[in-house]
Amino acid sequence: MNGSADTSGAIGGKHHFLLRRLHSLSGILPVGVFVIFHLFTNAQLIRGGEHFQHEVDFIHSMPALLFIEILLWAAIGFHAALGVVYTFAGAQSNTRYYPHWDNWRYLLQRITGIVALVFIFLHIATLRWRWDLAGWYTPFFTLGVTPEGEVVNLAGVSTAVALQHAWWVAALYLVGVLSVIYHWSNGLWTAAITWGVTITDQAQRRWAWLCGGLFAALFVFSAAAFVGALTLTENDQNTHEWRAYRYMSEQRRAGHVIDLHGKRPGDRVSVSALPDLPSTENESDG
Amino acid sequence: MIAPHPDHPPKTFRIRVRRQDGPQAKSYWQQFDVTYRPNMNVISALQWIAAHPRTADGKQTSPVVWDCNCLEEVCGACTMLINGRARQACSALIDELMEHGSTITLEPMTKFPVVRDLFPDRSRLFNDLKKVQGWVPIDGMLDLGPGPNEPPDTQEMRYAMSRCMSCGCCLEACPQYTLTNHFLGAAPIGQARLFNAHPTGAQLKEERLVTLTGPGGVSDCGNAQNCVKACPKDVPLTEAIADIGRQATVHSIKNFFSGG
Repeated sequence: MNGSADTSGAIGGKHHFLLRRLHSLSGILPVGVFVIFHLFTNAQLIRGGEHFQHEVDFIHSMPALLFIEILLWAAIGFHAALGVVYTFAGAQSNTRYYPHWDNWRYLLQRITGIVALVFIFLHIATLRWRWDLAGWYTPFFTLGVTPEGEVVNLAGVSTAVALQHAWWVAALYLVGVLSVIYHWSNGLWTAAITWGVTITDQAQRRWAWLCGGLFAALFVFSAAAFVGALTLTENDQNTHEWRAYRYMSEQRRAGHVIDLHGKRPGDRVSVSALPDLPSTENESDG
Repeated sequence: MIAPHPDHPPKTFRIRVRRQDGPQAKSYWQQFDVTYRPNMNVISALQWIAAHPRTADGKQTSPVVWDCNCLEEVCGACTMLINGRARQACSALIDELMEHGSTITLEPMTKFPVVRDLFPDRSRLFNDLKKVQGWVPIDGMLDLGPGPNEPPDTQEMRYAMSRCMSCGCCLEACPQYTLTNHFLGAAPIGQARLFNAHPTGAQLKEERLVTLTGPGGVSDCGNAQNCVKACPKDVPLTEAIADIGRQATVHSIKNFFSGG
């Protein structure tokens, strides 16, 4: 009897084990580290739009941003595609007769994975690709320009507009972000078993405290961003930013892309070349 | 354990059985009213039904088929679903079960093909134990001499792993182990840990790890950790899975850099 196994019907054939381990690694490292970074920078929103803008500008000034983005896309795509296959090919949850916390944790990991995938897709489609999903149009602008041609920072206002669009958008972000941070912190806990880092029950419990702490910290970061985005409203000081946001999104919706490459807040640009649009009075930011 | 009604024992209690006339046949339910006697277990209730094969509504039927051997919870043959959870029928006491209701539901395990009624075919489990070579290789022409000494902490760990009786409870409870997939499941992974830790058994360690890092190997574990809770012998199965996970990590990294 040699050690060969029947490879028929197994996902990935003879690369089954490698794919499983790469699935684990891709979830923890590129995706997970990015999520920590992303949520931490978002949390600066609670200190006001200008602090958040500083973080956004910092990210945009990073070298080899395209390389980082491609790496993230590859990791998320690989992790998600395999995750969907693993979830729907074969797993049979049985929490009815085995209602232990660990068994619920297992089921939740799969549910939050799917929810996170849908959420991340919608999040990127609306903010990154600026899709207009049946009137749900909340594009993200780092910089904007007022109808008079003044260049202003728009990262904070863009985020506020996106989350204040409707109650269900705020709910989607709450559920989506909770799914993401649960999926990652639980994934970090199980990865330690998968790779053989935590072996004894005691070690697994100790590691659970650490992963639980990470979950709590990420939740605090997300809550700060959430509160910051929902409380950032139009006032006397920032009304020119809100006007710039409305102007930018109308132009964009009409198919006019305003190139602000190399511009800085306070610069003036000529907007006379752009076609006139109807008065913004009827437009609402809600 | 104390009987539920020591002064007023019930005259009868009801057993609900999911029956199946053959491997390909459709399953159906039958109910039996069994005459109560003190200190009964599920096996003695099934023996009573075998002697009185008449359903609760008075219809004559065939005796219910089940498998059993040791009758002291060390062989695993009588494992079945009792009120939904996998356990041994011989150690399932009627008095204890009746604390949760007067009807007791019996079904065959769902992760193995059914031979008939409550009798599953557990061949896959035994074949998987062969795949992980769950033994110490001592066959041959040469006298191997006395075995090497084992340190006490290894003995202690191996004793816990050796309590496995291959009953299948861990596999039945596992959401990753299905009737049709190839996952080895907790029991064979536990046996691989048991024999990898044996000084002579370790001769087959690399071969075992080839199987365990293959399709259906340790990487198919989803960490629901039902196995360790379903195990009637308290085998530390989740620790075994993590330990084999570590051995698999080391094995595959070593193989990446120095393998053929």
